[in-house]
Amino acid sequence: MMELIQLRNVLKSYQAGVQQVDAVRGVNLQIKAGEFAALAGPSGSGKTTLLNLIGGLDQASAGQVIVEGCNLAECSSVELADFRLQRIGFIFQSFNLIPVLTARENAEFVLMLRKVPAEKRHARIDILFQQLGISGLEQRRPMELSGGQQQRVAVARAMAAEPAVVLADEPTANLDSETATDLLFLMQQLNREQGTTFLFSSHDPKVIGLADRVVNLKDGRIVE
Amino acid sequence: MSLFRLAWYNLWRNRRRTWITLVALAFSIMLVQTSHNLSTGVYSQMIESGVRAGSGHMTIYRSNYLETRDEKLGFDPQAFIHQLKSMEAVETVLPRIYLGGLAQSSRESRGIVLSGIDPALEQSINPILKRLPAASQLPDTISRKALVGDRLLEELQLKKGSKFVVTLQDRQGEMVSELLRVHAVVHSGIRHLDRSLVMIGRQRAAALAGMPDEVHELALIMKNGVKDIPADEIEALLPANQELNLYFWDEAMTNLANAIKLDYASQQFMFLIILLIVTIGVVNTLLMAVMERTREFGTILALGARASVLHQMLFLEALILGGLGLLIGTFFGSLATWYLVEKGIDLQNWIAGELEFGGVVFDPVMRAVWEPLWMLKIGIYVISLCFLASLYPAYRAGKIVPAESMRK
Ligand SMILES: Nc1ncnc2c1ncn2[C@@H]1O[C@H](COP(=O)(O)OP(=O)(O)OP(=O)(O)O)[C@@H](O)[C@H]1O
Ligand SMILES: [Mg+2]
Repeated sequence: MMELIQLRNVLKSYQAGVQQVDAVRGVNLQIKAGEFAALAGPSGSGKTTLLNLIGGLDQASAGQVIVEGCNLAECSSVELADFRLQRIGFIFQSFNLIPVLTARENAEFVLMLRKVPAEKRHARIDILFQQLGISGLEQRRPMELSGGQQQRVAVARAMAAEPAVVLADEPTANLDSETATDLLFLMQQLNREQGTTFLFSSHDPKVIGLADRVVNLKDGRIVE
Repeated sequence: MSLFRLAWYNLWRNRRRTWITLVALAFSIMLVQTSHNLSTGVYSQMIESGVRAGSGHMTIYRSNYLETRDEKLGFDPQAFIHQLKSMEAVETVLPRIYLGGLAQSSRESRGIVLSGIDPALEQSINPILKRLPAASQLPDTISRKALVGDRLLEELQLKKGSKFVVTLQDRQGEMVSELLRVHAVVHSGIRHLDRSLVMIGRQRAAALAGMPDEVHELALIMKNGVKDIPADEIEALLPANQELNLYFWDEAMTNLANAIKLDYASQQFMFLIILLIVTIGVVNTLLMAVMERTREFGTILALGARASVLHQMLFLEALILGGLGLLIGTFFGSLATWYLVEKGIDLQNWIAGELEFGGVVFDPVMRAVWEPLWMLKIGIYVISLCFLASLYPAYRAGKIVPAESMRK
């Protein structure tokens, strides 16, 4: 089976003032389609940086990031935007729903950007809301939802366009532990039923424990 | 869900700020529209009373009389004056003579301008004469009765009914004199006129100057004011061999025309400043909205939106803001214009004495006129300015780096 994500000797350094920070120092990693994988590691180990590189939100300083055979270093910013729109689903630590839009509108957002007709959007979101157990909340604004509900809307948004991979940076960090495991179970279920690849990061051993595969990071390197 | 709705919601996120910007926008639009409509009304009032007291909507002079005021440049209008009068657009044609001379009473003497007019024609047109009661009008074109400016009367120490002598040079260069009688006192409100004006019948004046049947000026009063003057048709009626020239009111009365032009130019400058300030307000509102939403815009970009999506959203926000401001502003601008058209502002409550502008005394009740096309034009300007105002905020929004915006 072909690798969905391939990282080859990936380096990423930031310039913080006069100081150079090496956030990722030579990472080699392969993720296959359909995996349910976790990035684990202490704070500052490079989890966010790595996810941003894979999601095309950031460019590697050296090495290659190849997603679905596409070398992201060769992409323009417009191409990267289109790549994210077509191939990547994002889930964020603090949900990042658009506050003025309803739950349904938030979940439909990516589909709208893709110019999917309203009827199709509607049908797709109905199914996802059902699977995620948030049916009936469609008309609520993010402010009127609990953290767990907000993050489920965010999962629906990420899944709506049937991306190749869903990248989730600490999706449970702002949730209590019960809600967190519930969310993970839902993600796992979507992974099993729809075959969507998931790559998520976490500090939480309980969350990490639910992954099929764990990639441990320390100081920007993968450790076994 | 559309981008438009998103933009609409976004605007109302900070209600107070949006309302303040809207009120500023609407108020400026109202101000600009109303003051334009009012000044256009006042200018046309000025032009109308100016041309009626002065040289008409159009004027015919011989050769360069307009510049030289050479009394020898008279002409005989007999051959074409009736044709002019019978033109559809022409209300009336006023023949006039102007002669420089000296007026002497038993005590004083003063330099004067002796105007010869046709009282029957003038009294219904000329605002100076209109104010006089019927008994004070000149009886005919030949009598010795004279209308005298109030200041001149005072300086010559004359009274109603007093006699005085006017001396001037006739066509042959001879000094000639005429005994006149003060029939009534006129007051134009224009200082130099009131101290030099002596008005008598045109035939008496022409006879005195030895230029019977000749005039210096033909003032054409049009039915439709300064609009749609058939200058070419009028021109065609003038005989070719008399060196006659046709002038528009603004060529013949450059003082008034220039005063209006200057006034309007300074007003337009004010409009520009007002609209500029409002534009800066819109830029500020949008820029603040972008800064507050860095994280959200970062998210939208991360989800795969191109920068152009954010650009469009901000353009829409600016257009909604501009459109709403325009609607509200035009509503109140129309209300104010309506009031000023119907009721006007009576300046007599504010200013004592005559209102003189560009050598013309005008009606103390200022009235606006409707200028819908101009209001539309301002609307287009405002919308374009709002569009311009969104360019920089949109640029900033498009430059947000998603990864960084979300780290904060
Ligand atoms: N834009 C940046 N400028 C400078 N340094 C950065 C930048 N982004 C990340 N870093 C540094 O890179 C290193 C890795 O950061 P990263 O956010 O990837 O860690 P993380 O594993 O996600 O940590 P956390 O668990 O706290 O989220 C850290 O030392 C961080 O300070
Ligand atoms: Mg992180």
